[in-house]
This record gives sequence, structure tokens and C-alpha cells, in this order.
Amino acid sequence: MLPAWSEPFSGPARARLARQRPFGTVARAEAFGGTDGSGLRVAVVDSGVEATHPAVGGRLVESVRVELSGDDAAIVVDEGTDVVGHGTAAAGIIHAIAPGAELLSARVLGPDNRAKGLAFLAALEWAIETGASVVNLSLSSKSEALYADFHALADRAYFSNVLLVSAANNVPGPSYPSLFAAVVSVAAHDVRDPEVWFYNPSPPVEFGACGLDVDVAWRGGGRMRVTGNSFAAPHLSGIATLIRARHRGISPFETKALLAATADDPGESR
Amino acid sequence: MSRGGADADVGSALLVLRGVVGRLAAATRLESGTGTIVLRSVVQAAVALIRAEAASIALLDPATGRLVFRVAAGEQGDAVVGLAIGSDEGVAGYVFSSGQPLALGEADADPRFGRGAAEQTGYVPRSLIAVPLGDDSGTIGVLEVLDRRDGEPFDLRDLEAATVFARQATAAIRATQLDRDAASLLASALASLAALDEGQPLSATDTAALVSAATSELSASDPTWALADAISRIRDADPGQLELVLDILDSLARSTERRATTRRRVGRR
Repeated sequence: MLPAWSEPFSGPARARLARQRPFGTVARAEAFGGTDGSGLRVAVVDSGVEATHPAVGGRLVESVRVELSGDDAAIVVDEGTDVVGHGTAAAGIIHAIAPGAELLSARVLGPDNRAKGLAFLAALEWAIETGASVVNLSLSSKSEALYADFHALADRAYFSNVLLVSAANNVPGPSYPSLFAAVVSVAAHDVRDPEVWFYNPSPPVEFGACGLDVDVAWRGGGRMRVTGNSFAAPHLSGIATLIRARHRGISPFETKALLAATADDPGESR
Repeated sequence: MSRGGADADVGSALLVLRGVVGRLAAATRLESGTGTIVLRSVVQAAVALIRAEAASIALLDPATGRLVFRVAAGEQGDAVVGLAIGSDEGVAGYVFSSGQPLALGEADADPRFGRGAAEQTGYVPRSLIAVPLGDDSGTIGVLEVLDRRDGEPFDLRDLEAATVFARQATAAIRATQLDRDAASLLASALASLAALDEGQPLSATDTAALVSAATSELSASDPTWALADAISRIRDADPGQLELVLDILDSLARSTERRATTRRRVGRR
């Protein structure tokens, strides 16, 4: 028994991820070789990022948090702290893959569902407007009332050439924007290798990436061994950043196609 | 039967009802309610099947906005019951806020999670799973599972097992909430009735308004009650109004069905 979204990417089930030509024919060196993500910005919408953590490499250039007053969300400049460690973990994974990219952080933890949804919307909008090329989302909203707002924002990102990478949510019920077509939705596979990712031709969760027993940065300059879809997403955000740095100006759709074309062959045993 | 006899029947029925409601309200305030028993059996099952040292469930207290640990299982678990943490603090708070299930383990000798809880309970876990308790109506709490007994880190299967237990707990909590709400609805409607001048007979409209007012207090926390109120009021409509209401409901049902079909396609698992 595996988490629903991880099941297609794990163990014997993986053999069913049949590849069709021309996928599998693009070499990784062609897709993202010779770049470290320089010139691009990646936003981490999460619990904040610890600016001084060695795993972030001093690349955090902007850090904000969302403050809510009623239904009004204000973006407030933050000093770059993380009360949990989760956002620092995501930023550390991205930095390890794309050390040249600049990191942005928006902290969005909120106490209740609606407040959380509104803060999340405001942070996502900020990330799109602030010039992020890739936005890593390790959280999602269950608020039906905000469905249309999230949909509009996901479309705006897509048409503004901003790639949203979202962790799939294993909890039943709606989950926005992680199940939208414009988003790269990621679950954890069971291979302990950050350079392995799989493409699943049966949406909504199209990619499986490293999310089992990952050694990540954590708050207080520490490290933690973690498991979950929210650690798989930043691996793919990192790779997507390299692709978008190597081929400047390509669309989210083209980026997704290259991610699929360079995915590991599920038939190869690892 | 004379009119006076009928009034006397109504009067004694009301007294019996008040007595029942009083006991019902008192019973649901006791923490050993069926809801707690089910939650306790869920954490016990989690400990047994995931082979963990301990498991616990924290629920959001809407009055304080904090997560309060309600039940626990395992030798190391009990000390956590009653502990309250901020709903955006620590790993439990993160999982509650983000809705993302996580498993964490020590990467060095100084685990950076659960330190606050560890200081208060005397138990410092080496590893933990935290899974949100949630359904379509939102997130209501967090299930935590601490330390595998074989010392191994939690894997994807443990994470999925915890998610299944969290679903059971969520369903149990939702059912108990409706029971509690029903008792408090009866109590508050009867209290309003008792406050009225007893000599004045109540019209059907008056009683309907009284029950609706009592229901609206519950609707703020659970939209099911607003719906229940609307449905029961439809029954008082005249035939013309009823037909209009049915037409509206019919078109609403069609549009919801269309939306659900689209979502099902999107949300297939």
C-alpha cells in the first residue's frame, strides 16, 4: 500500500509507465547541460526560508510574508526566517540542483483554511509579479470558495511564462492548484536518488521525483531526514530551472515536455 | 379529547423533552463520549499496525485557534493529552496549515521537531509522521505517529497507513460533531421556548422562526446546518412556491453534477 499519487511511480507498478516516441530521445545534456540556473529566480511559497542556512548558499535575494487583515492580504518584507524548516528544506533542494539561481521566499502559514487560502493566493500572485521563472508550491488549498481565484492565477502564471511546480496532496477532496492542468504536479517515488524522476502519462500527477528519506536543510542551521511529496516537488523545480536557464524563454508547456522527455526510463531497474 | 387535555399533554411532553435534552447535553460534554472512544481506537490501531511507539490526535480548538491533543496511544503517548500548541507552530502546525503529510527523522543527534512538546512530555522522538485530518470541508486537526519500534525510519507505506487512519478519525469527528450540534440545537430551541410567555400559544411561523434562529448559531461552524434549515423550511412553502423551489433545485443539481463530473475527471485516483 503506497500513497495514491506515489503508487504509479513505485516498485513493479512503474513498468506500466510506458514511454512513447519521441520521449526518451532527448539527452539530459541537451536539455539542461552546462547551466547552473544563473539568471533565473525561483520562488519558494512555504514556511519561509532561513537566509543564513549554509544549504541556501546565500542565494536568498528576497523574502516576504503575507499578513491578513480580514480579507485583505498585505505583502510584508521579512528578514528571511523559517519557523518550521520546511521552506528551508525546499530551498536547499533547489539550490543543490540549480546553485546559480536566485531564491525568493514567501511565507504563508495561516491558522485556518480560509485565511491560509487567501494568504496563499496573495503569495502566489507576488511570486508571479516578482519575476520568478519557477514557483515551488509544497502546499495547496482545499477552499472551494477560492477555486476560481486559484484557477485564474494558475492561468495567469502559464500565460506570463511562469512555471508552477506543486506537490500532489494525498488527502481526499479538492486540492488547488496542485490538480490544475497548467501546473507541474509531483508525487514522491520510492527511489533514493535525487537525479531520478519519472513521467506518468496518466494525469493529474504527471511526475514522480525523489521524496523518500531525503537529507534536507532544516531550521536552526540543522538537517533532517524527510519523506513526502512536498520534498519531491523541489527536485523537479530545480531541474525545471536548469532547463529554463539553458533554453531561455521557453514556455511552461515546452518545459514540461522536456521534463517528460528527459525522465528516467521506468523499464530500467535501479 | 378536550382542548385542555391536549394542552396538558403538550406541557408534559415538553417537560420530558427538556429532561432528555438536559441529560443529552451533559452526556456530550463528558469527554468519554463515543467520538473520543473511536478516536482512541484509531490511534491504538495506528500504533499496532504501523508498529510505532506512540500516536496522538490534535484537534483545532476554534475558540483559541490552537491545536489541542485529545487522545493518544502507546506507552510514550499519554503525557501529550491536553497539550495545546499554536496551529502554525512546529511540524504539527505546518502539516495542519499546509495540508501535506510528512515523515521526519533525525539527521543529526539534535532533532529540531517536537522540542516544545518533548520538554513538556519528557519524550523526544527520533522520527515522526504528521498527517492532516481533513475532508472536503477543510482541515480539522493532525494525526502524529512517533518512532517505529524497529528503529527504522518511516517509509511511504507508513505514511499512507497514517493517512488512512486520519481519514477514519476525520469521519468519526464529523459524525460526533453533528450529534453534539443536535443536542445543543434542541437545548437552545427549548431554552428560547421556555423564555416566552407561557400563556401565549405559538403559531407555526413563530416556532419555525425560533428553531431557525437556534440553527443559525450552528451554521457558522458547520454549513450542513444551514442546508438542513433551508430544506426543512421548504416544507412550509405553499404549492406555488414549492414548484419554483423544486425548479431552482433541479437546475442547481444539474449544474453541480456537471461540475462534479469535470472534477471527477480531474481528480481521478
